[in-house]
Amino acid sequence: MKRPNSSIFSNISGMFAIVLMGFPVYWMVSTSFKPKGDILSTNPTLFPHSFSLSNYTEAITKEGFTQALWNSVIVVVFTVAISLFVALFASIAVARMKFRGKRIYVASILLVQMLPLSALLIPLYLLLSRLNLTDKLAGVVLTYIAFILPFVVWTLRGFLINIPVELEEAALVDGCTKPQAYRLVLFPLMAPGLVATAIFAFIQAWNEFLLAYILLSSQDKATMPIWLAGFTNRFGTDWGPLMAASTITAIPVVIFFSLIQDKIATGVTAGAVKG
Amino acid sequence: MSTTLARTTSPRRFKPWPYLLIAPSLIALGIILGFPVYKLISLSFERYGLAEIIAGKGTFIGLENYRETLKDPEFWRILRRTLLFTFGMVSVSIVVGGWLAHLMVKMHPGIRKALNGVLILVWAMPQLVSISVWRWLFSFDFSIVTALINSLGFEMDNHNYFVNTFSGFMIIGGCVAWGALPFITISIYAALTQVPKDLIEAAEIDGANSRQVFRNIILPMLLPVYIILISLSTIWDFQVFSHIWIFLDSRPSAEYYTMAIYAFQKSFGLSEYGMGAAISLIMIFALIGVTGYYLRQMMRMGDE
Repeated sequence: MKRPNSSIFSNISGMFAIVLMGFPVYWMVSTSFKPKGDILSTNPTLFPHSFSLSNYTEAITKEGFTQALWNSVIVVVFTVAISLFVALFASIAVARMKFRGKRIYVASILLVQMLPLSALLIPLYLLLSRLNLTDKLAGVVLTYIAFILPFVVWTLRGFLINIPVELEEAALVDGCTKPQAYRLVLFPLMAPGLVATAIFAFIQAWNEFLLAYILLSSQDKATMPIWLAGFTNRFGTDWGPLMAASTITAIPVVIFFSLIQDKIATGVTAGAVKG
Repeated sequence: MSTTLARTTSPRRFKPWPYLLIAPSLIALGIILGFPVYKLISLSFERYGLAEIIAGKGTFIGLENYRETLKDPEFWRILRRTLLFTFGMVSVSIVVGGWLAHLMVKMHPGIRKALNGVLILVWAMPQLVSISVWRWLFSFDFSIVTALINSLGFEMDNHNYFVNTFSGFMIIGGCVAWGALPFITISIYAALTQVPKDLIEAAEIDGANSRQVFRNIILPMLLPVYIILISLSTIWDFQVFSHIWIFLDSRPSAEYYTMAIYAFQKSFGLSEYGMGAAISLIMIFALIGVTGYYLRQMMRMGDE
């Protein structure tokens, strides 16, 4: 039995939430297409009355765009590939095997995610400078892997435990070896989970700002978020190009994210609600 | 019940496989996180300033850094401010997110899809993008928010929202909560749709009204999800750094210090790395205390 007015109430709240939540994104995109004069008006209007691409040309011709894009791609590819490879093995052990010390391993994986990044900046910087890896993309990749790994292991484990063990056991009964059972039965089934986790790791690495900000100092090493922060200097902020640059930075994430959103939402809370 | 069922895949003998499988991840975590944590702890017992950096070696001073930090009234002000700020952001995002998720069930499918799309869009915004946009919304000279308030008949041209720390923290917290809401809302909504239908039907057949169904079936089933989300939000919101840092042009004034900024400034600003390390460790312990429950809950899930 549905109370009829509760539905009207939720519909109105829903529309209200759409407008409020969506407004900052709308404002970013609409600002990015406005000509300079409209942006620097003390009386901004909600809807643009003229359309211009000048902010975009200004943003991508700003010093360092292609370099930052390239740096970000390198950092992301290496981070995702290495952390996924390493985490895949660990997640199989955690989800499918019993061993002494598993509790401690799981606890440390979870504990590590609670470490405040800003608390570790000092010793991380000292460590990487001793290894001669500050102001190098490799240093950034190394730290990203460490910070993303625990999450990747935990998420992959979440996908794995949802695949019935009986399928591998059937393969074993049919004469497969254990590695064969994993390769032929388990991996194809967890492919969607792997892709989702890879995309999630991609987003984390693409978005990260603080570590890159501390570890990288020269301009030709900047990643996209650092490049974005460069739009503000002591003379002020170039709002139009910044909104264009923000839109450019957000687009790949939006595309990838829309592909995996349903998996991530259930992955995080997997097993919490028992049906 | 204690007799082993088909689930046990391991027979008697010792097997090296699990250890080989987790070894690479342990090595990576040990070098990049383990060593820094060790270093952080040892730094917190040392005087480590510019002179010590040049010498390459700190001076052991025992608990001096902790004693000095805990004696400093500024530390307690900052701790209280951080806890208050965290509590505000967590409660707003959980209450609003939970409320939206429960309403989503009753929305028209079209509106629900549109809302879901907007939430995904916001969720996907990189942190630095969302900070940039919010700075633009509340900028000093050409702010749309100021213009909207003016159009309602108020006079507040060129309002600087960050002169007043309360409105400043409201805006920074608003930006953090805006970014966190999609994850919270969608997770709760996903959990809601996982509540088995037959359970609700059975209760309705037994004569339960919708309020009783909600209180006695849906809420208890969602409790673990809420606990996880509250704990995760606490962990994330307690250590907010980039938002404050960038909103205030990389030089926040002392009234905007939170624990994360305080530890950072002590180390990188004042070159008192030992003090910074002690503050960071206090921060970690505060977090572990707050989120201990979450950890226990997740460990139980890991055992299954």
